[in-house]
Amino acid sequence: MDLGAYLSRFSQAVRDKPNNLRKASECGERIIGYFCTYTPVEIIHACGFLPIRIWGGQVEVDRAYSLVPNFICPYMRFSMERALKGEFDFLTGIIQGYTCDVACGLMNIWKGHIGMQMYHSIALPYNDSAESREFFASALKETVIRLRDIGGTFSEQALHESLALYEQIRCRVLNLYEMRYAGALPFSAADLLTIVHAGFVMRPEEYSALLEGMENHLDTDTPPEPRGIPILISGSLLEDPALIEIIEGYGHRVVADDLCTGLRHFSPPSGSGTIPLDRLVDRYMNRFPCPSRVRAAQRVPLLMELIGRSGARGVVFAFQKFCTPHLADYPIVSQALRSRGIPSIVIEMEETGIMEGQLRTRLETFFSMLEA
Amino acid sequence: MDKTGKSTKRLTTARELNTVVLDYYLECARARHEGRPVGWMPPMNGAIEVFYAMDLQPVFPENWSPVCAAFGLAPDNFERSEKMGYSPDLCGYLRNIVGYVHGDMNGEGVPLGGLPEPDLLISFGGGCIPAMKIFQILEQRFPGAKVFSADLPQVAVEDIREHHVKYAVSEMERLIEFLTETTGHTMDYDRLKEVVEVSDRACELWDEIMSYRRYLPVPFSAAEIGIMFVMVTRQGTRTAVDFLTRMRDEVRERAEAGRGVIEDEKIRLFWDNIPLWYNMGLFNYFEKMGGVFVAETYSAAWSLRLDTRNPIEALARKSLMSYSLVSCLSIDRRREMVLKACRDYAIDGAVFHRNKSCVPITLGQADIQQALLSELGVPSVTIDACHMDARNFSLAQFQTRADAFMEMLLEKKRLKTDRTS
Repeated sequence: MDLGAYLSRFSQAVRDKPNNLRKASECGERIIGYFCTYTPVEIIHACGFLPIRIWGGQVEVDRAYSLVPNFICPYMRFSMERALKGEFDFLTGIIQGYTCDVACGLMNIWKGHIGMQMYHSIALPYNDSAESREFFASALKETVIRLRDIGGTFSEQALHESLALYEQIRCRVLNLYEMRYAGALPFSAADLLTIVHAGFVMRPEEYSALLEGMENHLDTDTPPEPRGIPILISGSLLEDPALIEIIEGYGHRVVADDLCTGLRHFSPPSGSGTIPLDRLVDRYMNRFPCPSRVRAAQRVPLLMELIGRSGARGVVFAFQKFCTPHLADYPIVSQALRSRGIPSIVIEMEETGIMEGQLRTRLETFFSMLEA
Repeated sequence: MDKTGKSTKRLTTARELNTVVLDYYLECARARHEGRPVGWMPPMNGAIEVFYAMDLQPVFPENWSPVCAAFGLAPDNFERSEKMGYSPDLCGYLRNIVGYVHGDMNGEGVPLGGLPEPDLLISFGGGCIPAMKIFQILEQRFPGAKVFSADLPQVAVEDIREHHVKYAVSEMERLIEFLTETTGHTMDYDRLKEVVEVSDRACELWDEIMSYRRYLPVPFSAAEIGIMFVMVTRQGTRTAVDFLTRMRDEVRERAEAGRGVIEDEKIRLFWDNIPLWYNMGLFNYFEKMGGVFVAETYSAAWSLRLDTRNPIEALARKSLMSYSLVSCLSIDRRREMVLKACRDYAIDGAVFHRNKSCVPITLGQADIQQALLSELGVPSVTIDACHMDARNFSLAQFQTRADAFMEMLLEKKRLKTDRTS
């Protein structure tokens, strides 16, 4: 297979995810869904389940409106609508790390309408101390008990292996990020987003193998000449590559991201500790943070570091409409960036998707300002 | 009826609340002048009892927002925060307090003298995301304040396990250490026990007062729910207990004498979600058709009894439970609470405030409405608004829905009476 064929495989995995997962379920695979990447997938995998990230995607919202208000983010509304239509009937359960009021509430609404064997929310600590680590370890052990209750099996060795597998995946994707910082990635940022999304819905073993196979084709292809303005995208969940494609369509480059469908999901690849559970706790304590977990001021130096490494000259904030953590951080973060000479623009993703005409006008103005 | 307005109060003690409110804010201002450390904190947790026990002054910015709404200050605060880049889609409490602290906090025209600047910020991870973000923004605004980064597991009441309690206890102990180090005030654990006992007594009185709402006619309505102020700001003080005792006596007397809120109580109503602080008069709107708000979801969060034998653990458990009881952490639990309230208080109909400023309470409402109808035959109506921002409230839409709902409830009642007679 050449590089193009690998990229097609990732696209195909994203496109065919409902059928693939339904078939897997029919063949005996037991699948657990999650909304937020703070959900410790390693525990789910170690217990013998396949963790997949629940998707939203553009869909006409009809039935969900009888259950949820219209002032929650499109992602949660879309996923609810799909669930009510039976699109997630292959799921055995949902496990959710508490990072978002809406995701917490939606999980409980799903519980009342979508029959599954388990719904479990994990309270995640905000501080990093010996006590908070002990608490988090206890919460993870409780999760194991819940998974055992529905037929899961767990061993320390299995967790060790799951941690190694996910570390391998994260290292491989982060290598792609390093190539992108160096201007040596032989495909677009939109393709990279697709690769990330494929990882949410594929078996990790297959995903890792596909990434490994693709690695052999990365050095041989000639990377495109860097052109246009380098941009960093920061925000919550970006499901549709359309925004990136529009930016790239103008001849500019997305060179870095601070997305939960991006860097935040992969960094760091692993944690340290003598036993597997400690390593898992350590990784989640040291994650590249989401605004739901930390203060805006803590994110600024991290964003500046990303900007420094990637050479980004402007930031596009891409928010799901009504996303409180991001909206609440925005004034402080954008002001801090502006004071350091980095301009930014906000794009809100609404239920109708990207308003392309309006978006193009705003982006053109933003790029003209950056070019001036 | 106007888009904004105050409620009509019938209880003498509810009218006395103005003095309690004024005294509290005077005490806050006095603390600043006297050098008693002032700490800003979120409501609904055990830090308040710790503060009173250590002779520190607790201030609740979230509770200040209803004051701003009632005094008409909120629109200016919204304008200021929105100019700073805070989206109108964010919670009204957040936009209001951010606007307030970036304006003239104690200027002319600010009611009750405004809030004193904080020496301490009890900034927390826990509760709802907007409440958490409020304190993170306050940290930027008051860089001189000492910050305690609290951590409180977000867990449904029915899912609380030993490790949650153990962690919450360790956080309470860490808070006391922090306060001792930063203020020099030490904790007298006998005093803490007394404070917790007083706090528990207030909860007991609160429950007793609420129990008189089972009487027909109801002796007081949601229009008087401003009394909650003492449960938010005065937990652990004699002020709360004394006020609630007077209130209990008056409510009991009215209940036993059969004195209702209105002459002819026809329909008993339930309110779900936070009230419209800028229009508490809305509760009185239904009275012209014989409707009285007998109970509401929000009052349940203030009646958590405390195990006074173990004060620290009691406060830790209170902190874990308060947010959970009124949020979407457990929709099952909330549904049970609403159903129980509607049974206990013989509710005829429920009004659900679909609150743009409070997603955690709004999520799950549809399921609760459905359960009310299918299990108790209690119909409900949805009102779209926001507890802080009058721009998200349409008076005409409210009146149309409220009138139609009341007509339906009256007709239903009439048919039921006809069948039984």
